[in-house]
Amino acid sequence: MSQRDVKQRIDAVKNIRKITSAMQMVAAARLRRAEQRIAALRPYAGAIRRMTRQAAAAAGGEIQSMPILQEHEAENTIGILLVTGDRGLAGAFNSQIIRAGLRAAADYEAEGKSVVFYASGRRGVSSLVFRKIDPAGQYVGFTDRPSYANAREIAEDLVAAFVDGQVDRVEVFYNGYVSPLTQEVRREVLLPLQRATIDDAIAEAEAESTPEEDAKQALVEYEPDPDVILQRLVPDYVEISVFRALLESTASEHGARMTAMRSASDNAGEVITDLTLEMNRARQAEITQEIMEVVAGAESLT
Amino acid sequence: MARTPFRVEILTPEGEVFNEEVEMLSTRTAVGSLGVLANHTPLLGMLEPTELRLYRSETEIVRFAQGEGYIQVGENRALVLVEDAIRPEDLDAADLQDKLRNATAEVEAAETGTEAQRRALRDQRRWQAFLAVAGGSPE
Repeated sequence: MSQRDVKQRIDAVKNIRKITSAMQMVAAARLRRAEQRIAALRPYAGAIRRMTRQAAAAAGGEIQSMPILQEHEAENTIGILLVTGDRGLAGAFNSQIIRAGLRAAADYEAEGKSVVFYASGRRGVSSLVFRKIDPAGQYVGFTDRPSYANAREIAEDLVAAFVDGQVDRVEVFYNGYVSPLTQEVRREVLLPLQRATIDDAIAEAEAESTPEEDAKQALVEYEPDPDVILQRLVPDYVEISVFRALLESTASEHGARMTAMRSASDNAGEVITDLTLEMNRARQAEITQEIMEVVAGAESLT
Repeated sequence: MARTPFRVEILTPEGEVFNEEVEMLSTRTAVGSLGVLANHTPLLGMLEPTELRLYRSETEIVRFAQGEGYIQVGENRALVLVEDAIRPEDLDAADLQDKLRNATAEVEAAETGTEAQRRALRDQRRWQAFLAVAGGSPE
């Protein structure tokens, strides 16, 4: 390569580094906001748990058999919800979810079951379509900042499909947020809603409460009856689970992008160092060449 | 005459949207309209989509488009747990009209007695209530 070619490549790589470090900073800022939104859900989820406990106690302690809690006798059709992002450039973030979902689907199909896919995020949708799979539900355009309404839409679609018998079980695959540097693929059963989810919630609320609070609850009025309230509280757990998965996925996506962009910027730095060396060498070679020509010219005169 | 104030906290899955002393709260449960004043008897209620009104005084009223949720009243404070609590100025009437139209179409398309239909009816009720708060009318 000539000196000018190398110079051009150095400029190109420098530009790329500018972009990747800008993306890294944007991802870091969005990650902070995404973390705050995970934290903002906690008080709501805690209050829902306390109300569940209170309503369950008032309704006689027994949660009625509701369709979303009921296991289907034969699990022939499995719904798989893939939670991905709308954009790439985030390392293995999207591909590890798609891979895990497809592997699970292959396992189910080997058992003779059929699989229906649901995908949140453009990346998930497009890689399913690329594999000639038509998702039963596509949810795109919000993965940078998912709202509860997005989660509600997904959860209601899944609950309707489950209760109306189009699917017999629903699993979700998403990137769980461990730390800015670590995301882990999580696989959870959304439907049938696990009875243990409700029991754990009640137990957790129990641990937080005091006997005085309990005594007061005996005098509470219910509007409508506690068992009716419970009928609506229980499905809320599906919505909250989906919302939490979306929020964790968003935080994970920003974390993964931050890490990916940091290594891209570091790599660009290394490439620039190498190229600069190469350029210096090329320049040196040129100079040496010129000196030799001068010397050779002078020699031929004597 | 000013009434005794009490604390109202509104929590949504996206965080706290209101935490202030007010004189009166007005909303709607599955049973009917509900007004809460200070020292209300302990209550656990299931809320339906409507306009949630918080009276800082008789004339100063804070309004929200309220989605489905719950209200817990006790110890002279009220906790409102709702899926949505949106200020009227943040509502987009045209968007709500679209959503209402879609929900209405789904109600008609769904088979009677299915979960899909129940869900479409819930959506329809929510967007109707929000549209009323936004000041628009269904077409």
